[in-house]
Amino acid sequence: MTTTPETIDTEALRVTALDADASSRLPGWFVILWRNGKCRVGMLMLAAFIVIAVLAPVIAPYGPRLDEFGASEGPSAAHWLGTTARGEDVFSQLIYGARTSLIVGLVAGVLSTLIAMAVGLTAGYLRGVVDEVLSFFINLGLVVPVLPLMIVLAGYAPVKGLGLIIIVITVTGWAYGARIKRAQIITLRTRDYITAAKFAGDSTARIIAFEIVPNMISLIVVGFMGAALGAIGAEAGLAFLGLGDPQTVSWGTMLNQASLGGALTTGQWAWLVAPGLALALLITSFTLMNFGIDALSNPHLRED
Amino acid sequence: MALLEVRDLSVTYSPRDSAAVRAVDRVSFEVHDGEFVGLLGESGCGKSTLGNAVLRLLDRPAAITGGTIRFDGQDVTTTPEDDLRSLRWVDLSTVFQSSMNSLNPVITVRRQFADTFEAHSDALGNDLDVDARATELLEMVSLDRSVLSRFPHELSGGMKQRVALALALALEPRFVLLDEPTTGLDVVVQRDILDRLRVLQARLGFAVLFISHDLGTVMELADRVMVMYAGEIVEDQPAAEMVTRHLHPYSAGLLGSYADPRDQVVEVEFIPGRPPDLSQPHAGCLFQPRCPVAVDACRTVHPELLPASLGQVRCLLVEQSGDARVVLEKAAELRRRDQVFAAGLSERADAEPVLVVDGVSKVYKTRRGLNTTLTQAVDDVSFALRPGQVTALVGQSGSGKTTIARILTGVERPTAGSVRFKDEPVDHLGRGALRKYRRHVQLVFQDPFSALNPTRTVAYALSRPLRNHLGLTGAEARARAAELLETVGLSPADQYLDKLPHQLSGGQRQRVVIARALAPEPEVVVADEPISMLDVSIRAEIIALLDQLVRDRGIAMLYITHDLLSARLLADEVMVLNQGVMVERGPTLDVIAEAKDPYTRKLLAAIPRPGARDIA
Repeated sequence: MTTTPETIDTEALRVTALDADASSRLPGWFVILWRNGKCRVGMLMLAAFIVIAVLAPVIAPYGPRLDEFGASEGPSAAHWLGTTARGEDVFSQLIYGARTSLIVGLVAGVLSTLIAMAVGLTAGYLRGVVDEVLSFFINLGLVVPVLPLMIVLAGYAPVKGLGLIIIVITVTGWAYGARIKRAQIITLRTRDYITAAKFAGDSTARIIAFEIVPNMISLIVVGFMGAALGAIGAEAGLAFLGLGDPQTVSWGTMLNQASLGGALTTGQWAWLVAPGLALALLITSFTLMNFGIDALSNPHLRED
Repeated sequence: MALLEVRDLSVTYSPRDSAAVRAVDRVSFEVHDGEFVGLLGESGCGKSTLGNAVLRLLDRPAAITGGTIRFDGQDVTTTPEDDLRSLRWVDLSTVFQSSMNSLNPVITVRRQFADTFEAHSDALGNDLDVDARATELLEMVSLDRSVLSRFPHELSGGMKQRVALALALALEPRFVLLDEPTTGLDVVVQRDILDRLRVLQARLGFAVLFISHDLGTVMELADRVMVMYAGEIVEDQPAAEMVTRHLHPYSAGLLGSYADPRDQVVEVEFIPGRPPDLSQPHAGCLFQPRCPVAVDACRTVHPELLPASLGQVRCLLVEQSGDARVVLEKAAELRRRDQVFAAGLSERADAEPVLVVDGVSKVYKTRRGLNTTLTQAVDDVSFALRPGQVTALVGQSGSGKTTIARILTGVERPTAGSVRFKDEPVDHLGRGALRKYRRHVQLVFQDPFSALNPTRTVAYALSRPLRNHLGLTGAEARARAAELLETVGLSPADQYLDKLPHQLSGGQRQRVVIARALAPEPEVVVADEPISMLDVSIRAEIIALLDQLVRDRGIAMLYITHDLLSARLLADEVMVLNQGVMVERGPTLDVIAEAKDPYTRKLLAAIPRPGARDIA
C-alpha cells in the first residue's frame, strides 16, 4: 500500500461510496474496486481460491490423509503432483490446504481487527489516562519481536491445533491496526458533528458506533486485509517451522513435510513447488486487491 | 492587443459516474496590462474553474472543451507543458485561498524564496542576493525581515498568506490570478492584506484577475467587475458603474446583500433559490427561475452578452427596453416584498433573564516541560440572556468568544464566577445533570460542512435529540423532524428527510443544523458564527430565519460573530470582547454608531462599502 493511512480522508471516501451506491445496484465500494484492473484480477483470483476451498471434497480426487498409495512417487495421471513420503496424494492436500489458509486468514483477520478497533477506538476517543495505558500496550505490541513470540507461544502451548495458531497470530498482530485506528479517531472526534451528537444526548458508545465508525469503514477494511494477509503468511511460516498442528492439512505443513521427506533429493519438485506457488498466488491476489483499496482510499488513484 | 484574451472558452467536467457538467460555457473576456478585474459569483458558478483554466491547471475529470486563451499573443491552450513552466510564475502567478497551506512546512521562509529564485534562475540571473530581494518582497506585504528565518507553522494564517502573496510577486509577473485570497482569514487581517494588494498593484502595475464571492470587496478594489452565473458571464461593467448603475437582476441581488450597519434603518436583500443544475440542458435564461422580473420570453430565449451602458450584459429585458434602469427599479420594487430583511423595526419588552453569567473568568494552564504558562482567556465577564432576545458577542479570533460559549454550554467550567440557568448553577453540573441541561441549551455551528455527519441522513440527525431529550421514537419522531424542517424553510420536508448532507447545499445544511438545535425545544441557543462560511447572497436568508425563530419561540440567543453588519441586523444588544475583557456593551445601534473601542472601530472599517473608493 502506498498511502499513509493517517492521511486518508475516510469521510470523503465513505461519501463517494454512498454516491456510487446510489448510481448502481451493487455496493459502492465494490464498483470502485471492480473498476481497477489489477484489483479485478486479484478479486477473481481470491474468488477462485474460495471456490476451490469450499468445493474441496468435490475437486480433490482423494482424501488429503489417505495414505494407501506408493510413497514418494513422481507426478503421474493418477497423482498429478505425485505422492508424499507417507503415500498421500499431493494434489488433494493442495486443494484441502486452501481451506486452512483462508480460514486462518478470515478468522485471525477478523479477530485482530476487532481487538484493534476496541483498543484503538477507546484509546483515541477517551484520550487521557486511558489513552496512555492503552497506547503503552499498543506500543508494546509493536516493539515485541513477533516471530520469536509466536514461536514461543506456539511451542509451549499445552494444546495444538488450528485454534491455537489463530490465537497466536491474533495476539501478535493487532497492534499496528490499533495504532492506525487510534490516529484516525483522534482527528474525527473533534468534528462538530460529534459535539452535536453530545448535545443531542447520545451516549459515548453510541457516538463511537454510529457517528465515528461509519466514517472510517475504509480504514477498517484496509486493516482487515492487512491482518488477513499477515495471518496467512504467519500460519504458513509456523507450520513450515513445525510448530503447526501436524494433523491439519495446510500449505505450510506440506512444505514442512516435503522438506523433511526429502522432496529435493528424490526429485519431487512438484511436492515442494506446488504449495509454495499456491501461497504466492493467494498473497498476490491480496496484494493486487490492495491496489483497488488504495484507489478507494485515495480518489486520485482511481482509473477514471 | 490585450494581455490576456479569452475567447469562447468552455470547460466541461465529465465524471465517470454522472452526467457531464458544463462548468464554464463559451466565456470571452480580456484583461489589459495593469488592469484590476474582479470576477464575482456564488459558489459553484464556475469562477474558480475559469481561473484554473486560464492557468492550465485543470485536472481530470475537467477539461477545456472549446475556445482559446491567449496570453501576450501566445495560445496557452495548446502550449506544451514544458513551455508553460517558463511562463508560469515568471509572467503568470497566483494566490489561492489555500496558498498559505502550500508553503513547505519543513523549510524556512528564506528557503521558500531561494527555491523560487533558483527554479527561475534563467529569468533572474544567478547573482541575485536572495536575502535582499526577499526582504524587499516581504516589506511590500508589510512583513518584517525576521520572518525570513521562521518556519511556516510559526506564522499566523494571515502572515502565511502574505508570504504567499510575496512569493507570487517574487518574479514581477505581469498577471496575477487571485482566487479568494483572503477568505477564511480574520476580517481585520483580510482588510489589511487587500488594502496592501491594491497599493502594490498600482505601484508595480501587474494585471489582476480577482475571484471572489465577496462582492463588496471586489467592487471596492477592482477597476472592472465581471459577474458570473451558472458558467456564463452575465454582466461586465466598470466597478463604479456596477455599483450605481448595474443592469442584471443577479448583480442587483448580489449588491443588495450590503448595507452600512451605522444607518438608522438597515436593509439587506437575498436571492432565493439555487443555481441551476448544469448537467441538464436549459432553454431560456439560466437565471430565470430565481429572477424577480422574469417575463415569459425568459423561459424560452437564451439571452446573449450584448453591449449595454459602459459594458456588457446578458439579459432579455435590458435588450428589449431602451432604458435599462426601468427594469431594475421594477426589480427592486418586487424584491421588497419578500426578499428583504430589515433590522431594528420591533421594540422588545424586557423579560426575566433565563441565563445569567456573573463575573466569569477562565484561566488556562499550559505546561511545557517545567514551565507553566497561565493564559487568561476570559476576564470577569458578566451578562444575561433574555427570552426572545439576541445578544451578540463580537471579537477577534482569540478574544475568548468561544471560551465563553464553552462555559455557557457546560463544556468547560469557569475558574471564577458563576453561570446560572434559571435557578440552576451550570458550573457545578455532574454528567447526568449536564445531559439534562443540554436539552435547554443548544449549539448552532459555524461550519455546516462539518456539523453534520456525512454518513447519516437528515432524518437520523434530527431524530437523535428528539429521542434522547423528548422521548419520541419511530413515526412520531419522523413526523416531528418533518415539522422542524418546515419550520426552517426546507419544504416539502419529505424531499429532505432521507437526504445525506453532501446532497444539500451549504445554506440547506445550515438550516438542518438549526433545525437540529431547535429539536429539543431549547430555551437558550448559542450560535457560533453561523453565517460566516456561507455565500454572501444567502447570509441574509439565514439571519432572517434565526430572527424569526428567536422572536416566535422566545429563545434567548447568544450570537457570536465578527461581522458587525449581521450583528446589527439580528442582535438587540452587542458586547465587544478584546483579549478576554468586555470592552464595550450596549444596545446594538448605540455601540455600532458610537464605537469607542479601537477594535470595534477597526471592525467597522473592515466592512466593505461598494463604491466607497469613488466617493472618498
